[in-house]
Amino acid sequence: MYRYDAIDRAVLADRTAEFRDQVRRRMSGELTEDQFKPLRLMNGLYLQLHAYMLRVAVPYGSLDPRQMRGLADIARRFDRGYGHFTTRTNIQFNWVRLEDAPDILDALAAVDLHAIQTSGNCIRNVTADPYAGAAADELEDPRVWCEAIRQWSSLHPEFSFLPRKFKIAVTASPHDRTAARVHDIGLLMRRGRDGKTGFEVIVGGGMGRTPYVGPTIRAFLPSDRLFSYLEAILRVYNRHGRRDNIYKARIKILVAALGAEAFGQEVEAEWAKIGPAGDLPQAEIDRIRNAFTVPDFKADPSTGDFEDRRAREPAFARFVRNNLKAHVHPGYGIVDISLKGIGETPGDISADQMDVVADLAERFGMGEIRSTHEQNLVLPHVRLEHLHEVWKILDAAGLATPNINLISDIIACPGLDYCALANARAICVAQDIARRFETPDRAEAIGELKIKISGCINACGHHHVGHIGILGVDKKGEEFYQLTLGGSGAEDAAVGKMLGPALPIDRVTDAVEAIVEAYLKERREGERFLDTLRRTGDAPFKEAVYAEAH
Amino acid sequence: MKALTANRLSDGEVVFWKAGAWVERLAEADVFDDDALATEAETRAKGQPTIVIDPYLIELVESAGFWAPVSYRERIRALGPTNHEHHGKQAEGGGAVEALRQANGAARSSGRVNLIRRK
Repeated sequence: MYRYDAIDRAVLADRTAEFRDQVRRRMSGELTEDQFKPLRLMNGLYLQLHAYMLRVAVPYGSLDPRQMRGLADIARRFDRGYGHFTTRTNIQFNWVRLEDAPDILDALAAVDLHAIQTSGNCIRNVTADPYAGAAADELEDPRVWCEAIRQWSSLHPEFSFLPRKFKIAVTASPHDRTAARVHDIGLLMRRGRDGKTGFEVIVGGGMGRTPYVGPTIRAFLPSDRLFSYLEAILRVYNRHGRRDNIYKARIKILVAALGAEAFGQEVEAEWAKIGPAGDLPQAEIDRIRNAFTVPDFKADPSTGDFEDRRAREPAFARFVRNNLKAHVHPGYGIVDISLKGIGETPGDISADQMDVVADLAERFGMGEIRSTHEQNLVLPHVRLEHLHEVWKILDAAGLATPNINLISDIIACPGLDYCALANARAICVAQDIARRFETPDRAEAIGELKIKISGCINACGHHHVGHIGILGVDKKGEEFYQLTLGGSGAEDAAVGKMLGPALPIDRVTDAVEAIVEAYLKERREGERFLDTLRRTGDAPFKEAVYAEAH
Repeated sequence: MKALTANRLSDGEVVFWKAGAWVERLAEADVFDDDALATEAETRAKGQPTIVIDPYLIELVESAGFWAPVSYRERIRALGPTNHEHHGKQAEGGGAVEALRQANGAARSSGRVNLIRRK
């Protein structure tokens, strides 16, 4: 984890004091709502349907136990005992009082967290591979670069008022767990011919009402030239982005309008002007790298009674099959904690559960916790000899659902239950589908199948990149849902294709089941849902859904 | 029929107009059958910027002997989130809450377009 220094803490203290005064001035009438709204949004405070919502940045999805306990404390003292992890790996509190917001920011600052740049037309929280530092296939820990980008972009005067919000993802593994190709900038770490690391730079991906898989504008950018290149991209965007039309203001529209090649040429020209003076000195990168404490891994491949337990206990074996991933160090594993208990709200976690995760990270996880863009948590470094005990504790806390990447591991935005922008609910649709497929054997027989649900076209639920995407729409006041098939947020990124007319809410789960049954009928040995769909096209699925629905 | 609603500044709570002040339950709110009176109340409410944010009028229909918002969004505001039945105003239960829940199908619009303009 990156460690805050005295300057970081002083900045947060000043910022909270400033916001406390702004709240006081709003309450007294010195500030109008129009004057205050941009100020509260700069501190992550939204007004939603039932209350204020505070969005807290979880930098590149990394938390330590002290921070997780801090979030639990806030959930208990200032909310209703829970929080909600988002697709930007942040956490939201849904029942915040304006009067309490400055105290919450103080409580966050006490554990080196904040809500800065979780809203507004600025560079938002950078997302990283949740398995960073643990994945067996990564080139190096991408979080060092994420932290450097965080420091560079925080309160950056030139990039605080962009045409629209701006999201960056960084991954160093060939398997993309960040959805990098649907970000404003996706940085995929590569190894150059000289053995040094660099990045493939993807620009102009995105979801929302105009989804794009971003094109690569530079196949290899040496790591030490990253910041001048980022500056060049953002400068071109700042200069040419459509500030006149909010629906055309994201960089993806600019890249699509100019064409990737022409956009890339603009960036290269700007980059040449900036030159190496725009890059971080190596000493600064080294300082940030050194601030990450590398866990003290034991060079001991023994796994205790792990294999024996796995052979004897089917429920534990199922958890291992679905929620354990290979670690770079023998004797360790990466443990996925599902926040998708059957019938629960995707991404929600109670304060008590937060404490359990914090305790586990402290006792068995070398003090590290990650949040994922798929609204789950990860303990990245668990010794396999401890896994059975970890599983028992997770199970007792309702956190051991063995469904990672299966049909009930559904992304859903808050939707019309909370969000001021939503057209339709998303949570209840996810709950209903999860209940339909709650039998673990059935879910495992179906295999990898990612369902993603958004309550409006803004696509916070990433429906465009769902293997099955579900988009809530408003048809004369009733909740209807459009289905898309074939999306992917992984290295084979794709935008899903609409299957047919929207369905009423009570037909959505039946339609999903019809799609699944068609897949099971059509699939060949070893095929995932996506593989079958790509081979057959959507005709069998269209027939199955609309034969069932009409 | 119409009611006047807003979010309270101090905590964001959904509130409804009643005789120049604000109440948390729709069942206790003033119901206007006269557009001129409703608009007059809205104008007065806009003069309370340190108490509420963005007051606006909503349309109502009758449901099980109570008044319920026409739009689905407004029914959720008046009840609370459907994924947590113990959160929001619905936690109190009772006839008025049940009437709001039963009002499904009355909507002509979610009211989203107007809300986006306001929020």
